[in-house]
Amino acid sequence: MKPKVAFFDFACCEGCQLQVANLEEDILGLVNLVDVVEFREVLTGSAPEYDVSFIEGSITRPEDEARLRDIRSRSKVLVSYGACAATGGVNKIKNLWGNIDKVKKEVYDKDAAMPHLETYPTKAVHEVVKVDYFVHGCPITRSEFLKVVKALVFGTTPDIPQYPVCVECKMLGNECMYDKGGVCLGPVTRAGCNAICPSNNVSCEGCRGAVPNPNNNAMHEVLAKYKLSVDDIKRQFTMYALDPEVGK
Amino acid sequence: MELLQISKKELLEFVGTLVSGPLDVFGVVAHDGRFAYDKLDSAANLRLDFDETLYSPKQYLFPPKDPVLSYTPGDAASCAPVYAEKDQAIIGVHPGDMAAIAMLDKAFTENKIDAHYCTRREKTTLVGIYPTKPGKYRFTSSMIKPEEPYLAADAFLIDMGDDSYTIEIVTDRGKEFFSASAAKPATADGKAKAEKMKTAVKDTVTLKIKREDLPPFLDGKERHPVWETRGAKCFSCGSCVTVCPTCYCFDMLDELDLSFDYGLRFRTWDACVLEPFAVCAGGHNFRTKAADRIRHRLYRKQKYLLEKLGLAGCVGCGRCKTACVPDIAFPPDIDDDLLRKEAHHV
Repeated sequence: MKPKVAFFDFACCEGCQLQVANLEEDILGLVNLVDVVEFREVLTGSAPEYDVSFIEGSITRPEDEARLRDIRSRSKVLVSYGACAATGGVNKIKNLWGNIDKVKKEVYDKDAAMPHLETYPTKAVHEVVKVDYFVHGCPITRSEFLKVVKALVFGTTPDIPQYPVCVECKMLGNECMYDKGGVCLGPVTRAGCNAICPSNNVSCEGCRGAVPNPNNNAMHEVLAKYKLSVDDIKRQFTMYALDPEVGK
Repeated sequence: MELLQISKKELLEFVGTLVSGPLDVFGVVAHDGRFAYDKLDSAANLRLDFDETLYSPKQYLFPPKDPVLSYTPGDAASCAPVYAEKDQAIIGVHPGDMAAIAMLDKAFTENKIDAHYCTRREKTTLVGIYPTKPGKYRFTSSMIKPEEPYLAADAFLIDMGDDSYTIEIVTDRGKEFFSASAAKPATADGKAKAEKMKTAVKDTVTLKIKREDLPPFLDGKERHPVWETRGAKCFSCGSCVTVCPTCYCFDMLDELDLSFDYGLRFRTWDACVLEPFAVCAGGHNFRTKAADRIRHRLYRKQKYLLEKLGLAGCVGCGRCKTACVPDIAFPPDIDDDLLRKEAHHV
């Protein structure tokens, strides 16, 4: 019996679902391995229980939390996939503002008090329910998504990198973004994307979240060596709300 | 050693014929204002006047991700080793990087023969070049002995400062390699000049401690405060290791086809400075602190491998100094700290 797999989304752009839908020829291999029972972007239908649920998006409203808990209670394995789900992603920028009313006013202005616009500080999926596995990235890396699915179906533990992007970047023979005048978060960001941004001459913005023990303090040495300002580094850390403490 | 001479034009013509032949030819090319090894598709791109390359040539002998075994899951009899199949030549290897390959040769044949490394190595012709420009942070002559590059090289080029190279033929393979070129026997004058030209470009950095004194110097400094000071600034990003011409630690990785009918086992670069490197059974990590990991790296570079193999684990190329974003990885800087702090203690 093929495992029953479902895909759900919360606050996000649904771009990670599209990455799955865009697996091209691999989508055929994927549906041979698993039975997709819910996937709004791709098919209609639902099921009472799931072997594996893939959760995309952040939790930003009380009703999200209830829905997520319900999905968790009906799922044997739950995978948080994509930056919004795995770390809170760009949705966590609002948490940096400190005051949620200020955020609502900025975004919705005179409609800020409308009941359907109720929102609270963003939570990643694991901040609400137990998460078994993560697929990081904004968007996810398709090959890594497949790696996780294959491991779950085969019964092994997915091997998700616990080291920084620099490892993959150097293995590809890239020149360091800092030497090109960039501000790159590769040294503190979890690898697994095959350094796709620096390989295309764009500094890492940290979409995969931090490595388990990022040494953000070392950024001070970097500021000095490359003659950068605290603001340069802070701006880079803001996009995926990697560490609100940096620069303080 | 047989010495030949060849004009620069003739050498390029020779490389041109190699590039259009069956051999994979790797050499140094210009890369965004710096230099890097790459597969040559034209002899015109070959640069032999480089200061230092971004990465070392070890990638062609010990690739970052190398398939070593193919298999069908559930069928032990299906396991088959995967070996390199193509012959290759690397043209333009500095003496330090060549000594690093000599060290890799020893590491991969000590006790157990590593068939994957050796197969590729046997298919490789190595042509060295003495530097024509100083490296920004080179201290090779502090770390290797002049004869060590010849343990690995098939031939060495020496830029004569005019329009020619002298070729030192080191092995039969090297002799065979250049037999199709226009190289002629070197003159007596040429031979004398070549020997001088080998040391014409001086190192930029000199280590304050002699190589043979490094192991005893490091003895008993395992708890020195320098490791904590530098560890506090370490990203544990592995860059000092990935650019290093001698580092050869690896991890194993299985990749299954989506059909589950076919799998490949890969050997991938690993690095002792990465946090998960020393995680073992049960999830225990015996080097959890960056300070412990950078100490271990330096001891490998300047003590352990020297004692174990008789060749240094550091060949003084200076790439780690360039690659380390917070600039804490350069062995001469660390040795200076150890010397300075030692003086303090007295």
